[in-house]
Order: sequence, then C-alpha cells, then structure tokens
Amino acid sequence: MSTQTLSTTPLSRSKRAQVRVQKFGAFLSGMVMPNLPAFLAWGLITALFIAVGWLPNGILGGFGNADLPGAWQGAATQLVEADDGTTFRQYLGLVGPMVTYLLPLLIANSGGRIVYGERGGVVATIATLGVIVGSTVPMFLGAMVVGPLAAWVMKRVDAIWDGRIRPGFEMLVNMFSAAIVGGALSVGAFFGIAPVVTRISDFLGGIVEFLADNHLLPAMSIIVEPAKVLFLNNAIGNGVLVPLAAQQVVESGKSLLFLVEANPGPGLGILLAYTLFGVGAARSTAPGAIVVQFFGGIHEVYFPFVLMKPMLIVAAILGGATGIATNVIFGSGLVGPAAPGSIFAVLAQTERGSFVGVILSVVLSTVVAFLVSAVVLRATRRRDLALVAAGEEDGLEAAIAQTEANKGRSSGALSALRVEAEAAEAAESAAGHPHRGPIQTIVFACDAGMGSSVMGASVLRDKLRKAGVDGVTVTNTAVANLTDDVDLVISQRNLTDRSRHQAPHADHRSVDNFMNSPVYDEVVRLVQERREASVGQEATS
Amino acid sequence: MTDVLAADRIVLGGTARTRDDAVREVGHVLVDAGAVRPAYVDGMLEREETAPTYMGNFLAIPHGTLGAKEQIVRTAVALVRYDEPVDWGGQPVRVVVGIAGAGDEHLEVLGRIALVFSDEDKVARVLEADDAVAVLAAFEIVDGS
Repeated sequence: MSTQTLSTTPLSRSKRAQVRVQKFGAFLSGMVMPNLPAFLAWGLITALFIAVGWLPNGILGGFGNADLPGAWQGAATQLVEADDGTTFRQYLGLVGPMVTYLLPLLIANSGGRIVYGERGGVVATIATLGVIVGSTVPMFLGAMVVGPLAAWVMKRVDAIWDGRIRPGFEMLVNMFSAAIVGGALSVGAFFGIAPVVTRISDFLGGIVEFLADNHLLPAMSIIVEPAKVLFLNNAIGNGVLVPLAAQQVVESGKSLLFLVEANPGPGLGILLAYTLFGVGAARSTAPGAIVVQFFGGIHEVYFPFVLMKPMLIVAAILGGATGIATNVIFGSGLVGPAAPGSIFAVLAQTERGSFVGVILSVVLSTVVAFLVSAVVLRATRRRDLALVAAGEEDGLEAAIAQTEANKGRSSGALSALRVEAEAAEAAESAAGHPHRGPIQTIVFACDAGMGSSVMGASVLRDKLRKAGVDGVTVTNTAVANLTDDVDLVISQRNLTDRSRHQAPHADHRSVDNFMNSPVYDEVVRLVQERREASVGQEATS
Repeated sequence: MTDVLAADRIVLGGTARTRDDAVREVGHVLVDAGAVRPAYVDGMLEREETAPTYMGNFLAIPHGTLGAKEQIVRTAVALVRYDEPVDWGGQPVRVVVGIAGAGDEHLEVLGRIALVFSDEDKVARVLEADDAVAVLAAFEIVDGS
C-alpha cells in the first residue's frame, strides 16, 4: 500500500541531514533525559508549595516574608523589594534555587560527561556557574552550550600534555589543570557567553511570545508533530519547550508549552481510529498500543502508525493544534514537564486552576485527531483490505522497521509492538558489545593508580614478555581515570563493577591476588588466541 | 635502587601482630629515615581501611592516600619481614613493603618487588634471607635479569 512513501534511498542527502539532526537531538536529550527526575521533583515541589500550589508554603515555596513578627529565622533568605518600594527579607525556598542552579548545573554536568566523562562533567559544571550568575534568566540554554563546550576545551587541554607528565605527578597535574581550566572558563563564560545566551534565550522566547501574542501558538504543532514522529520529539520537547516552559513557570506559575509535545491526545485519537477502521495487524495491535501510549506515556508506539500512512500526520498536527488552542483559550497549563507523556503525569503536573482546560485540551485533541484519522483510514480502507486479502505485507512491519531506522536504534516499546504484531524475533539491544578483536592495550586499574596496579602491570608485562608476546601495551591507572578506549581491563574484584561502568566496551577480568593470579595466564592465552584468530581471518578474507 | 630501598630500612624481625600495627611499624621506619612526616602514617592506615593493599604471596604494600602525599619528604621504600604471618584481612602477610612515593623513582622498585613476589621460588629467597643484605640481593637478582 504505502511502500513507495516508505522507501528511502540509503544515505540520501536528506537522510544524512536527518541523521545529523537526530544525533544532535540525541545529544540534547542525553543532557536532559538523565536529569528528568530532578525536573519532576522540581515540578512536584512547585505544584505543592508555590503561592498558588496545593499546599502553599512561604518558606519552601520561597515567597514568605521572614521579617514578619514570629517568622521562622532558621532558613536562608534574600532581600527583595516589595510593591511599595520597601525591602524585606524573603525566604529563598526550593523552587528558585532548583530552577536557577540545580537544573542547569545538572544539565551541564550531563553534557560535559557525554563529551569527556566524569572529568568533563566537573569542568562543565564549574564553567556553567559563570553563565548562571552572569545572567538574570534561568540558564538552561547556557548550560547546554557551555557545559559540553567546557568539557571539550578540557579534553583539548589534556591532549596537550597527554603522556608527557612524569609518572607520579599525573594526579597533581590532572587536579590542578581541571581546576584552573574550570575556573578560567567560569570567568570567561560570565563575561563572554552569558550575554550571548541571554540574547538567544530572549529571541527564542520572543518567537513563542510572538506566536502567543498573535494567537498563532497552535501553529507550533506544524513543526512539533512531524518532528515527533521522526523521533525528534526529545530534541524539541526537552531541548526547547521544557526550558522555555520552565521560564514561564517562574513568571506565571504555569505553562502550556509543557503540553505541546507531551499531550497524549493526538496519539490516542490516531490509535482509536485504527482500532475501529484499521485493517489487519495494525487494527489488532492498536488497542495494546493505546495502553502503552496513553497510560504509559510512551508516545513512540504510535509513530509507526503514522509512518505507514503519512497522511495521518495531518491528524496529529490538527489534534495537537486543537489541544494548544484549548489551553490558550482557557489560560491553562502545567507547572512542570509531564514525562513520560502519560495522562497520569499530565494530570499530576496540572496547575491547580487549569484542570478544565488541560483535560479539555486532551479530550478535544483526541477527538480531532480521531475524526481526521477516521476520514483518512476509511478513504483507503477498501484498497488496504484488498492488499491484506492478496496476502501482501500490510505495512506495519515495514513501518516499524522504518521507525527504528529513524530512531537509529531499537526501542524497547517498538520491539514489544513488533513481537505483538507477529510474535517474532526479539530485538537486540544496542548497548555494550564487549571487545572481541585482538587485544592491544591492557590496563590495570586500582583505586589510586599508585601501588597495586603498578605491581600487577609489572607482573603481567613480564609474563607476556616470557610468552614471547610483543606489541601489547600494559599500563596502570586509577579506576576513576579509566577510559573506554582500551581492549582489556584488569581490576581488583571489588572494583570491577566500577571499571565496567567506566569502560563498557572493554573486556574485563577480576583478580584477587595481584602476584600470581591464574587470570594472568588466562590473559596471556587470550591475547595469543585473539591474535591468531585475527591473523586467520585476514588470511582467509 | 639502593637509594629507594636501603639496608637500614629493612627490618627482619617485625614485632607487630595486627594489620594496623604492622602498618604503623613500617610507617615508623619511613618516619625514622626522615622520608615522611608522622601524619603520613595516618594516611597509610586510612588507605588500608578503604582499600587493603594485600597483593598475594605473603606481600602487602601499604602506602598513603593521595591526600597524604604532601606529608612525604622524599621517595623511599621500607620493608618489614615477620617470622609469623600477620592476619591481613584474612590473608597471611609476612613481608610488608611501606611506600612513600613522591615522584616516579619508586615505580621501578615496586615493579621489581612485584616480579620477585610473583615467583614463589624468589619469594622463598626473600623469606629465608639471613640479613638485610641478603634480602637486597634477592631483589638484585631480578635487577640483573
């Protein structure tokens, strides 16, 4: 049926561009995703304790006056100006510091980590504080720019003297170089980056404001919904909308931007239409997908349903736009991100006075998406039925494959869908393939990299030499400095889990006895076997 | 090598009966030699608590934490041998090598000690040596190989 719309030339220009955008999207969501619990915690605290919250609390919410007679004096306060121009001490509370410092610093740390491991994360965090205090707006964007950038700079600086530090001085040099680079970048970001980011943030906010002022906010769906189906949802949702929305919450206590991407209505409408008017496997799978999507909040499961009938994107756009329009009319919104985009998460984050608008936005977007989908599905139903009768592939399988290709890796929810659709092959996880090729670099890891690992490396080097194996580098390091570019890691048993975490792609061995562990002989054998295997492969190929 | 591990820093009749006392004993040899300030010994004990330095084949190599490094005056290695094994977290230890490493000179010595202790025949030679000079000789065999 729709195979012609699904087939794409591999490595076409648009595909390559899409991969790049997606990689960037994955990077953005890699910074935000791990910190979603912090966003949610902030959302819950905000929902509870701010002045318009469920349990308003001036001390925790940070709006109470600490100068009032009998006010609690144990909490941190700041001097603020009242409406009448007088100043008073106001409680700092949790809401402000979390959104100003905690969340951007967490994002910076994750971003730095992606670029340059734990060390990158630390330097990124130090540098980002410069942007935060150099500006007056919440620095989510600044954290996303400065964090990875700072880590990258650290990586470059380290490369300058990599391998040239006298053994025994590595730790000293590493500590101080990171401290100096982090400190300098922090000052540099204060003066150099913060004003730029403030301007960009203002510009993006300006677009949203422009759309809002001109009642064009629903037009965002034209961008958001297709992006979602191409799995760019996290880049848009977490990368742009959530930070902007978080800023709006600071200003007005709620934001409908949280619902632009997270509204489960459009997906529900499309899946309901499939349940009633679909054919074949798509029809029988849709009810299960509804549970996962609407209640579980994993929107990914409805993407293939759109991909196999691209006209349905119109249903998604119109549904999403309806939801936004409803929230605009009712002035309703959420106080924090609804993640995952489940109906429960949406309701949990709904601002106290917004229940009518938010619920109506979900219901109306569902109805609109359902009606449009129904028209599309009914229009092609006869052709689809004929295809199913002719025993041809009904498109779902191909669409799932296409969806996975779009995502770049297999998604658990999609795999479940595929199993449900045809009860077949389990999907393979993309994570962690331990090293299997010839072994060229072996690292001994111990706690500090000063004693035990030195001895272990000496012994193994000697054994390899005696076995006549050359061309293998054996070094020693602290577990914390272990990098993922080595072939084999040997560590004390109680450190092996940490080693594995640091170098997931390396092979790992544990030793209890550094002096004459049977592991050494095993490693010598392993090195020899792998070498023969690879020589054999080259000979036959 | 004799600079880092000299005969006057080799004690053949250690008296400690517990791990912590053994760490203190070898630590005091380093202190008496003027290689470390007394506070370094606390760092050695601390390190032993977090990550025991038992290496296998009757050998333990206590050394300070990274934070204790500034208590090192100069790089030195000391060795205390025990006639009866000391219980090192359930493992028998007869040779305790205390390390004060400020630079990289000790790494070579450590490597040599490691090679001796990975060979049980050579371990026996260290355990049976009659005096400090014979202990050094046991390591120097490695030196010449």
